Amino acid sequence: MSKPQKSNVKVRRFSKAFVWAHGINAISFFALYITALPMYTEFFDWLYPVLGGPEGARLLHRIFAVAFVTPTFIWVIFDFPGFKRWMKELVTWKKRDIDFFKEVAKELFGFKFKHVRQSFFNAGEKINSFIQIFTAILIIASGIPMWFPEFFPAAVVQWGYFFHNVGFGLAIAVVVGHIYLSVVHKHSSPGYTGVITGEVPAWWAKGHYTDWYDEEVAKGNFPDIDENGNPKKPTSPDSKKKKGA
Amino acid sequence: MTNSWNDVQYTDCALIMGANPAENHPISFRWLTKAKENGGKIVSVDPRYTRTSAMSDIYASLRSGTDIPFMGGMIKYALDNNLYHKEYVAKYTNASFIVKDSYKFEDGLFSGYNAEKRAYDKTQWAIEKDAEGKPVKDFTLEHPRSVFQLMKKHYSRYDVDTVVKITGTPEDDLLKVYEAFCATGKVGKAGTIMYAMGTTQHTVGTQNVRAFAIIQLLLGNVGVPGGGINAMRGESNVQGSTDFGLLYGNLTGYLNAPTSTDKLNATLAGHLEKETPKTGYWSNKPKFIVSLLKAWYGPNATPENEFAYQYLPKGNKNYSHINLFKAMYDGKLEGAFLFGTNPVVGGPNAGKEKEALSNLKWLVAVDLWETETSAFWQKEAGSDPGKINTEVFLLPACSSYEKEGSVSNSARWMQYRWQAIKPLGESKADLEIIHELATKIKALYKNESGPAAAPINALYWNYGEGHHPDIDLVCKEINGYDVNTGKLIAGFGNLKDDGSTCSGNWIYCGFYPEEGKNRAKNRDKKDTGMSLYLNWSYAWPMNRRILYNRASCDPSGVPYNKEKAVVWYDAAKGKWTGVDIPDFVATRKPGDAGFEDPFIMMNDGVGGVFAPTLNDGPFPEHYEPYESPAKNPFSSQEINPTIQLFDGKFNERGFKADYPIVATTYRVSEHWQSGTMTRNQEWLSELVPHMYIEISEELAKEKGIKNKDKVIVSSARGEVKAYAMVTKRFKPHTIDGKKVHQIGMPWHFGYKGFATGDTANRLTPHIGDANTTIPEYKAFLCDVRRA
Amino acid sequence: MATEYVKFVDVTKCDGCRACMVACKNWNDLPAEQQDFLGSAQSHAKTTADTWNVLQYIEHENSKGKLDYLFRHSACFHCTDAACEKVCPENAISYTDFGTVVIDHEKCVGCGYCVNNCPFEVISLKEYVDKNGDKYRKAHKCTMCTDRLEEGLQPACVTTCHTGAMEFGDKAAMIKKAEERVKQIKDRYPNAMVYNPKGVGGTHTVYVLAEKPSVYGLPENPKVPTSAVLWKDYAQPLGKMMIGATTMGVIGMFISSRIINKGKQDEGGDSHE
Repeated sequence: MSKPQKSNVKVRRFSKAFVWAHGINAISFFALYITALPMYTEFFDWLYPVLGGPEGARLLHRIFAVAFVTPTFIWVIFDFPGFKRWMKELVTWKKRDIDFFKEVAKELFGFKFKHVRQSFFNAGEKINSFIQIFTAILIIASGIPMWFPEFFPAAVVQWGYFFHNVGFGLAIAVVVGHIYLSVVHKHSSPGYTGVITGEVPAWWAKGHYTDWYDEEVAKGNFPDIDENGNPKKPTSPDSKKKKGA
Repeated sequence: MTNSWNDVQYTDCALIMGANPAENHPISFRWLTKAKENGGKIVSVDPRYTRTSAMSDIYASLRSGTDIPFMGGMIKYALDNNLYHKEYVAKYTNASFIVKDSYKFEDGLFSGYNAEKRAYDKTQWAIEKDAEGKPVKDFTLEHPRSVFQLMKKHYSRYDVDTVVKITGTPEDDLLKVYEAFCATGKVGKAGTIMYAMGTTQHTVGTQNVRAFAIIQLLLGNVGVPGGGINAMRGESNVQGSTDFGLLYGNLTGYLNAPTSTDKLNATLAGHLEKETPKTGYWSNKPKFIVSLLKAWYGPNATPENEFAYQYLPKGNKNYSHINLFKAMYDGKLEGAFLFGTNPVVGGPNAGKEKEALSNLKWLVAVDLWETETSAFWQKEAGSDPGKINTEVFLLPACSSYEKEGSVSNSARWMQYRWQAIKPLGESKADLEIIHELATKIKALYKNESGPAAAPINALYWNYGEGHHPDIDLVCKEINGYDVNTGKLIAGFGNLKDDGSTCSGNWIYCGFYPEEGKNRAKNRDKKDTGMSLYLNWSYAWPMNRRILYNRASCDPSGVPYNKEKAVVWYDAAKGKWTGVDIPDFVATRKPGDAGFEDPFIMMNDGVGGVFAPTLNDGPFPEHYEPYESPAKNPFSSQEINPTIQLFDGKFNERGFKADYPIVATTYRVSEHWQSGTMTRNQEWLSELVPHMYIEISEELAKEKGIKNKDKVIVSSARGEVKAYAMVTKRFKPHTIDGKKVHQIGMPWHFGYKGFATGDTANRLTPHIGDANTTIPEYKAFLCDVRRA
Repeated sequence: MATEYVKFVDVTKCDGCRACMVACKNWNDLPAEQQDFLGSAQSHAKTTADTWNVLQYIEHENSKGKLDYLFRHSACFHCTDAACEKVCPENAISYTDFGTVVIDHEKCVGCGYCVNNCPFEVISLKEYVDKNGDKYRKAHKCTMCTDRLEEGLQPACVTTCHTGAMEFGDKAAMIKKAEERVKQIKDRYPNAMVYNPKGVGGTHTVYVLAEKPSVYGLPENPKVPTSAVLWKDYAQPLGKMMIGATTMGVIGMFISSRIINKGKQDEGGDSHE
């Protein structure tokens, strides 16, 4: 049986700056994770030779630690409006956000669900953002005294170890979920491509972030589309052009 | 030491003065700690609060160079408060002797002073003798010309106020020390005095020790366990080296070297006559001298040729360190052998000593490393090699682990050491170097005759063939043997003056009494009683561990302290017995002549409270150091009137107007002497890597010096740079109402090795003690400023 | 383990000769490390990776206003409950049968966690260069000469101590001795005390101190840092659990959505779209 083919019309969801920032964040997070893993648990001691011994692991961890700090700055410097929107959305909570969770739970376990209208970031992404921001601050702030213990009182360094550990534990839990949703979860795969290319299928954007999409349509940035993603008639050729969000 | 390290544990009070054993003789604290556990007190008297002070029960500060006022005050205190051991003083010392009425003391001078010669006519201090030549005595000690009364009069001037005024010691502390130590005057109690270079390195060094001797005799502390006068030797074998004639005035075994200044010394008979007293053990001296000549000249020493006596050099000068370097400075010396000595760091006024070396034609230095001395001509030493014509030979020497032989420790124990490793590289033992030198010189003179060749050809050098001398033959010669049979001599009592015996060092005679029985090799750890360990090594004389131990018993031979008895008279056996070897004729019975005379080495058999033999007087009298910040309150004599003065550039003198601060030098645990052995050892160098001075918080504040600052210390002789260690352990003294500062510094440093720094001895003066000429390293004037 | 051994250091018998420092370097073959002038007789500010024991020299005006010159042989305490052992991520630090705490340099990765968590600050990192010129680090501290103990010898520092300020023996006997000694010296040192801190489960170096611990720069009540306890006993196990749980959750979702509810979900999705 054949379903109607989804349209290839794409819209720009993420700026290049964000794509880079997100990419660096993701890569450095995993690099930090991998380079710390043999110290976190002996189960992964075999990673030491791979990483060039404890010294290699330590060096890489520090290189990626620096990298890990940069995404925020990249985003702020090269796409300040995007960053501003993120900040704004994070502090904006409405009923739709609560409803989102009810539905997302059904979806995740494969039950029947419906999309709740969301703005640029859905409630799940906002929660993810919160936790990521919190853990990143925890990890970075505790990592500095760990790196330079000679400049800090012993107690600060000692608590640093604790908070680095806690931050990491929280972060990894959230990140695992975040990645599952973006990479493995089948309904999210356009989002995964999107975070790499910056572009997502229009139909997917409209489905997942209806409020945002409609907003952009109203601004004339995105084409108005039908349920298969094809532009509704009549449209001017210009409006088909994708514009960055 | 009259006693031994182990014996210190039996003391009731240890007065440590002019010494810092916790830092410089650490092992002594093993025994001092035990003494403390046994209830003994430790008293530390030092200008600086040292680690010894930290371990002490009582600490008293004093200004460097005021030991005689301090001790004179104690003598007065003991006499005034009747704390002295009355029987001991009356019977065992010369306090009862009557002094001739020619003896006088006025304004710091004893009678017989010749200002031109800076010397005394000592005959004016003689003891009254009876018709038999025996001293006239008054056992009541009441006679106005008895030693006791003269002493009392002499020290009546050393009242607490005057003492405090000149020493700067807080009165409370002073009295605490007097009280604690004089408590050992009680019959049965024992107090020891432990001293070192802080006592001797003064222009009154000998008299400082004499002051100790007087108080110890007054308190009955000599000859008893836990008592004595204990000089802590600063090197492992300093005792051995002086025993073996290191001092310029000695042959071996403290036999005097003959000088041409006395006509009697022109012949052996005259020399023996001059040297031999009628009474006391020294009456055997001819046996020791002849046996020594037989050891040195062997078959070439015959009764016909005065046992080769004429081959002994007979000088007419003071050949002490300072005078040798003065001669060198004046260009009067051609060459020098320096065996393990580094005067460019260790000598007084070291800058001048370095200059003096460049007047030599040749210099042979024998050492483990190239020292500041053997490298004196190098650019690094601040010299211009182009202008120095001295030819320097550096011979590599072995360390103690690479050779075999013995060392004698402070307790007179001759301890044999075996070779642990073969010598590294081309290094050789000193003995081997001397042996080769002697055999080669003998070979060169073999076919010559005349006054230069004769003594060398006559020299008996028979320690085996080849490069390596047979050390066992050397040992046997030291002990002595019958020259006809070759049989070893059992003890110095068996030495003869007819040329039938030889002994290289009579005091050691008996350490090798028979074949295969070198007692220096004894290593039995069993305590043979009172921790004397009679079967561990060999203590001269005749393995006696406590000298004058007869004095630990009352005149009838019963120990004063029965719990700590070492020897006693056993009436049943009719002889002396005990856990120590009696330092006495053991077979003497009550009623025998000399039964009650414990000091066998003294002509009269008793301890010398009064010593009419010393150059600077029979009683210690205070004179200020050569460089002093204060006026002598006891007389108008500012400095010791009998010290030899050196004029000119060789010894610039500083005065308090330019140099108001008292300075002293000392050593640290981690470095040894001039530092050659330790500054080349990294583990020791890292512990004390820098030259520093210790300076009080008060002086630092006055001078604007902060801890760890670099400072410059200057004296009339030179300047040195150092770090400032600002410490609470130095406090300014109040001398005659004025504040006088004192600083101290280690003298180990030079520019070689791992731990380098300026040499403190560039500051110290060329001035010495009136009897020994030991330099006055311990009290001189300086100034300090920020670098 | 039959007997529990401790090193007993009676600082009031120490004369500061530093033979313990040299004996330690000698036995353990540690290089010298020359320091700048520190303004006192002390050679090193504290123990380092190449200097496992340091003799402290302290000028202290006591409660009576009198000057005391105090010495202390400072080295690893070999805590019964050792923070270093707790925080080591590689299990490189362990307790021996003698109660000593030792570092296995095969396992040590030079992270420095032990260095920063030791309540006595006695552990240090040493940097090495391998044959390729690459640098690496290892943590070092006093081993209580465990290699000597295994041979029936005593620690080098104890053997060399000539005043008997150090002894090595049965813990109960040594503590008894220490308590006796404190009674004896109370006159001279009113603040004298036995230092065997409970916060770290007691130590295997028991001191008689002449003064309060703070005079020697020692913590009055040292303990394993709370942060280390929270970290190692709670945060890390929880973190590991959390990773596990999250991963399990993700797998659960995957299985549920892809396999069990496959049909329904498709349907739902479709209906929505």
